[in-house]
Amino acid sequence: MDNLEQRLADDAKAIEARVSPQLEARIEASLQNAQRAAPPEPGHRSSVTLWWASSLTGLVTAALVIVLLNWNRESTKTDPVPAAREFATVPEAVVPDAADRYGRLPLTTRTADLTGPLEEELRNLKSDIEKARDNVEQDIRSSF
Amino acid sequence: MNSDEQLALEAQHGSDRAYSELVERYQVRLLRFLLTRSASRADAEDALQDTFVNAYRYLYSYDSRWRFSTWLYRIAIRNAARPGPAAAGNEEMLVADEDPLAECIAASERENLWLTAKALLSAEAYSALWLRYVEDMPVSDIAHALRRSVSWTKVTLFRARRRLGGELSPATPIGKKGQIYG
Repeated sequence: MDNLEQRLADDAKAIEARVSPQLEARIEASLQNAQRAAPPEPGHRSSVTLWWASSLTGLVTAALVIVLLNWNRESTKTDPVPAAREFATVPEAVVPDAADRYGRLPLTTRTADLTGPLEEELRNLKSDIEKARDNVEQDIRSSF
Repeated sequence: MNSDEQLALEAQHGSDRAYSELVERYQVRLLRFLLTRSASRADAEDALQDTFVNAYRYLYSYDSRWRFSTWLYRIAIRNAARPGPAAAGNEEMLVADEDPLAECIAASERENLWLTAKALLSAEAYSALWLRYVEDMPVSDIAHALRRSVSWTKVTLFRARRRLGGELSPATPIGKKGQIYG
């Protein structure tokens, strides 16, 4: 227990809170007049069950409709667009006699490295989040 | 000696004697807490009475997974938040009244830290601090009593401690101004 906790505990004890006999009598009298409330009837529970059942039915129906709609869409689907990766290497152009006449065209290509900076940015952001989380956890651990 | 929870279960099964024992155990502790939260002593006493009556009426809803004190404080906090009939009916009297907490504190060389806390912290942060360091309640129970999440409670306690700790340091004199935390 540190200094602050000790002071809080000590100062709470210094608060004078005597219950007078009149207050005690008042509480006793009000308790004698009070009546215990009855626990909720089973009907209440069944209405809760009904609510859950109807919600569940609604969810299942919605899921079924979504599945059916997607099913129909599947049948009208056209050939998929080739993935971007397929364009990564372009085959050499083959034109009859062209190579003999003009020499080979320099058509070797490589994938543009466009995602590099974004990935680095993402790594930096993740690292920042990790550091922030460590700091918060350390603060909380030091206070409890 | 029966624990509070055992007595509460007996009271749930109809034992008024067990409930009287609980009232006996908690009346001073609860009044002390309510005095720190209410506008006047009369309001604190009304809130104490309402707390015991409400707890008695709704004893069936006590869940023994929680400590009895958690459940009782939950009711007390709700009652303390409501202005009592004295405050609602007579605003002039409220203005003229002294802070009941200040009245109940014996004269001392230094200011009582709970007076400082009352001036600096929000009502919820103040209650969280009280439950933690006076009632020695676990954080999860405090969260339950205040109807807040465990994370919120942890952060609120952390901020309240930091705020009070700052006031305790010799560089800054204890004052009643500043931003309210929590």
